[in-house]
Amino acid sequence: MRWILLLLIGLSLPALAAELEYTLKPRLIAADTWLLEGSTDNFAKANGGNIVNTGFIVTERGVVVIDTGPSKRYGEAMRKAIAAVTDKPVIEVLLTHHHPDHALGNQAFTDVPIGALAGTTELLHQQGDGMAENMYRLVGDWMRGTEVVLPTETLTPGVRSFGNHDLRLLSLGGHTGADLAILDQQTGVLFAGDLVFYQRALTTPNSPGLAVWLTDIATLQALPWTLIVPGHGPVATDAKPFEQMRDYLTWLDQLLRDGAANGSDMSEMIRSPIPERFAGINLSRYELIRSVSHLYPRYERGQMTRVDSAATQ
Amino acid sequence: MNWRAGCLLACWLPLAAHAVDLDPGKDPVPSVMWAFYHKQMLGDAPFVFDDRVKLLAPPFAEDARQVPLEIDARAFKGDVVKILAWAELNPLPKIVDFQPRDRVLPWLSIRIRIEQATPLRAAVLTRDGLWHVGSTLIDAAGGGCTAPSVVRTQPGWEEHIGEVLGGRYPRGEFSRLRLQVAHPMDNGMVGGIPEFYINHAELRDQNDHVLATLELFPAVSENPNLAFDIEGTGQTRLLLRDNSGNQFDAAIP
Repeated sequence: MRWILLLLIGLSLPALAAELEYTLKPRLIAADTWLLEGSTDNFAKANGGNIVNTGFIVTERGVVVIDTGPSKRYGEAMRKAIAAVTDKPVIEVLLTHHHPDHALGNQAFTDVPIGALAGTTELLHQQGDGMAENMYRLVGDWMRGTEVVLPTETLTPGVRSFGNHDLRLLSLGGHTGADLAILDQQTGVLFAGDLVFYQRALTTPNSPGLAVWLTDIATLQALPWTLIVPGHGPVATDAKPFEQMRDYLTWLDQLLRDGAANGSDMSEMIRSPIPERFAGINLSRYELIRSVSHLYPRYERGQMTRVDSAATQ
Repeated sequence: MNWRAGCLLACWLPLAAHAVDLDPGKDPVPSVMWAFYHKQMLGDAPFVFDDRVKLLAPPFAEDARQVPLEIDARAFKGDVVKILAWAELNPLPKIVDFQPRDRVLPWLSIRIRIEQATPLRAAVLTRDGLWHVGSTLIDAAGGGCTAPSVVRTQPGWEEHIGEVLGGRYPRGEFSRLRLQVAHPMDNGMVGGIPEFYINHAELRDQNDHVLATLELFPAVSENPNLAFDIEGTGQTRLLLRDNSGNQFDAAIP
């Protein structure tokens, strides 16, 4: 009996190991431009944290990678996926921001410059280990061996040319305080990073404020883009992702404003009704719970005044 | 029988009645420590798990140092002696001992620290001597109790201790009173920093009549946030004392 059990365990082990394989299928979305589209779900053991959009541009000079994914294993799978569509070497990584699902695959790219905004490097330095630790908790074994690798190059706004592609780099900040958006001036593809979430609720752990974010959305929308690649969610050739972002950010801002004016507490705020028109946005309740924790303290302080005797004396 | 004996008997009778054949019901949360806390917090007194005591917390702690908690025992309005709350798996489990008296509804919101995923409890003692226990579960990445203070990283924080932000928000038959007190609420679990926290708070009306008292414990977050629902109008005062003997007071018009 026992040996049957052992045999069964032996047979199932390789199967378990095989499950921890990211199936990254690059999709051509414009000339030379490939997308690795993740799901719009939350981090989970079932998806290994592949909830993010990463991409790469095959220029004449070599491959420019945009974001490296949530883990060492993802970064390695991404390199294999790149090698499957081109013989050209990877020449540069551009990180849109410091969040773990975008930057913890850096280990697979230590042979090339990893570029990021100065603020991104600073945030990754401060928060990277904590975020990685939390990722281990959320997705488990997929993270094995993953460690924070800091960017090696500081990006500044302006046009950077890679072979036949001129990439316009924008330094924005609504999502984390240091958010890079990349517009390919040849193809019109806009890699918006997590400044744009589409059909997936936006996240706010480092947002300097929703007003800043709304300004960034206007800046992005005014660019001569032809295709929007959101950080999470499907790509779009129309302005719908911007419209959804503007609608959602405006709603969230007003909700928190009204709640604070009404003296509502956080635990009441997280139970607020979510408008029917956002029903198609994945994880909106979950992210509302998080956003209330991140943002509401600022709103509620704005609606309170000093009442201690030291202030009135 | 003299009046004292009569009073004793009157107090004792309902207890005895409950003790005989009281089914506390099924614990709504998976807990390995209920028996321990039943003894430690409630002195093994009669209790029921009661969903009329609403203990509301997010399903997970986004910030383990500032977890919002709402205790709603309005179903027992007029009957509440005190409300005890604790986080079972916290190293310092006790949160608050809240005694609403005149005009203050048996409802409280407060923010707490969570060290790990844990059952939370709010036990409401009603005048008949029975504890009604509300429960919920919260998930957490953890570390809220042992994380370094945020307050202490702010230059000049000592100057601001005891400052109170407040507001009164009319809500029909009652008004919501919200207060935020600047205080590090050191729980003694961060290296080299001894316990230093607000342990007593009182609400009084304009005639110095006590409306509610609270004993606070180090599971309460730094810069404590408190909200009460109060019937009637008039100025309300908040008196605070910390374990170093500092006293602060505030008045909400």
